[in-house]
Amino acid sequence: MSEAPVLLVEDDPADVRLIQRAFGKLDKNVPMIRLTNGDDAVAYLSGLAPYDNRGAYPIPSVVLLDIKLPRRSGFEVLEWVRRQQSALKRLPIVILSSSRHSVDINRAFDLGANSYLAKPESISQLDELASQFQAYWLGLNEPPDLHGEPWTGRPPGIHHV
Amino acid sequence: MVLSDRGFAGVKSHDVFRLMVDSVVDYAIFVLDPTGVVVSWNLGAERLKGYKPKEIIGKHFSIFYTPADLANDKPGHEIRGAAELGRFEDEGWRVRKDGSRFWANVILTRILDEHGTLIGFGKITRDLTDRHQSEFRYRLLVEGVVDYAIYSMDVHGNVGSWNLGAERMKRYKADEIEGKHFSIFYTEEDRKKGLPERILRTAVETGHFEGEGWRVRKDGSRFWASVVVTPLRDDVGNLYGFSKVTRDISERKALQDAIQQHADELELRVQEREQSNAELEAFAYSVSHDLRAPLRAIGGFAEALRQDYDSHLDDGGRDYLKEIVAAVARMNTLVQDLLDYGRVSRIDISLGPVNLLEAVNDAVRQLGDERRGSLRVDVAPDLRVQAQQQVLTQMIFNLLSNAFKFHSRNSAPEVRLSAQPKNGAVRLTVRDNGIGIAPQHQQRIWQVFERLHDRESYPGTGIGLAIVHRAVERMQGNRGVESEVGKGSTFWVELPRAPENSKETNHE
Repeated sequence: MSEAPVLLVEDDPADVRLIQRAFGKLDKNVPMIRLTNGDDAVAYLSGLAPYDNRGAYPIPSVVLLDIKLPRRSGFEVLEWVRRQQSALKRLPIVILSSSRHSVDINRAFDLGANSYLAKPESISQLDELASQFQAYWLGLNEPPDLHGEPWTGRPPGIHHV
Repeated sequence: MVLSDRGFAGVKSHDVFRLMVDSVVDYAIFVLDPTGVVVSWNLGAERLKGYKPKEIIGKHFSIFYTPADLANDKPGHEIRGAAELGRFEDEGWRVRKDGSRFWANVILTRILDEHGTLIGFGKITRDLTDRHQSEFRYRLLVEGVVDYAIYSMDVHGNVGSWNLGAERMKRYKADEIEGKHFSIFYTEEDRKKGLPERILRTAVETGHFEGEGWRVRKDGSRFWASVVVTPLRDDVGNLYGFSKVTRDISERKALQDAIQQHADELELRVQEREQSNAELEAFAYSVSHDLRAPLRAIGGFAEALRQDYDSHLDDGGRDYLKEIVAAVARMNTLVQDLLDYGRVSRIDISLGPVNLLEAVNDAVRQLGDERRGSLRVDVAPDLRVQAQQQVLTQMIFNLLSNAFKFHSRNSAPEVRLSAQPKNGAVRLTVRDNGIGIAPQHQQRIWQVFERLHDRESYPGTGIGLAIVHRAVERMQGNRGVESEVGKGSTFWVELPRAPENSKETNHE
């Protein structure tokens, strides 16, 4: 199986281009799938049409999620993911927002965000962000199993029948 | 009564009895023949009515009655009643020999012989004038009360007595309403709900009913009544009716309603204000988010152009790009300053004791290292002001930024921040060695977007001191500036000093 992509949920095309440019400058290619609204993000993660082909639309390794999105906000997407009964609820989610409001930051963490990044003012900072993101989330971080069963509270391997 | 045949002291028993009756003075005891003619007369009767036995024996007893009673044949009615029922009791006015009246309690008892033939009547009369007078005065009192409707009801709730207050309040005359059920005073809805019956039941069960509600006058108009119903019981506890006292408190009710309405309106306005505050909050949020997104794009692509296509540009092109990037930075600052200004104006400020030095230190941390090096702080660690930590810090930061910004080109900036208690306040002073402000400009500088210098000399948005002005205003303080061109400026703000022993708040 090819490497799981980063799912970028961002409605601002300018931001998308600048983000893609920054990731494009990295030494290693980072596969990225881009969606423009919260509804699409939920449909994608659920594997609903038109995203029902997991070969073409695999479960991402990390989601880069904007807060202010059309139809369904980043918060709502985040809430939806954490509410899932399947292992999908473990999906690492990194908020990427222009808001530095503590209200937004706190709410994101309350809802289970794994990280919160503010959109940088300059593209050199954005380059730095892309590089650090890759190093940490796609390198250092140990990814969870997003396909197995969610933890039931029992130690693994010991099943009483 | 059974009398012994022996009697005593040799006197025959029926004579003893006669002597006793004769000598009773507190009761008039006399005998009438079947037609009502007086046949015996005791001492009590003589005293009470003023007739000697010889004056009255042989006369008809109707002589004791008032003309009004005679017109109604009351004496005949009483005799017939007693003849029929064996006993007749009455209370009413009777007339003495001299024409004066007294209030009498009268018991007329039928006397039959051993064959059951009517041979006459015994009559016992008591003078109850005194008791009647006090009852009468009481009744007059009740009847005369005009501010309260006071009336009595029988056990079923039918109206008995009816005072003037009741007449005025409910518009019924006594003779119109007597005998009618009191539910007539209630609204249709209350009657349907069985309220009148429930009131009587409650009064009986708990000994009392008290309540407020709409009542209906004879003309159908309504008034808001305060009502007390009390059950009336006789000596042995048998219920024989109710008393009801009603007060028209429509005015009080109207006043209460008006107050309630005002309170509701106030509540609504508070809600509206909270709502408009929330809308402003949402507005500020979208300003910070949406206004900055295109800015980030402009700045980002300008820089990308410079990085990715540098070889395609000459110096003129690179210069234009620099202008774009600088304008974006300025716009970013402007948006940030406007947001700060809006927040200071809008934020719910709850004032509490704040340690001044801590706020100063917070503000100083936000200054760059270079500026920090040229700042002297002289604030006692125990000074506390009534303020809001966040707003106070922002205000101090803006004062310091301002002091550093307008320094003279010929000398290094030196800024001194100090604080002194002054009466019930604390005066915070920021002194710089900068370019100073001409007297004619010293008021303008506090206004938003006011700038005294071109952007190239002193960049800025013209919002910094406006934030200070607004912050001081919101924290119920004062502010001012003393300055001379070329000799630097001294900005000061005064904030109320926090009371001793008060607990520090506002730390977030």
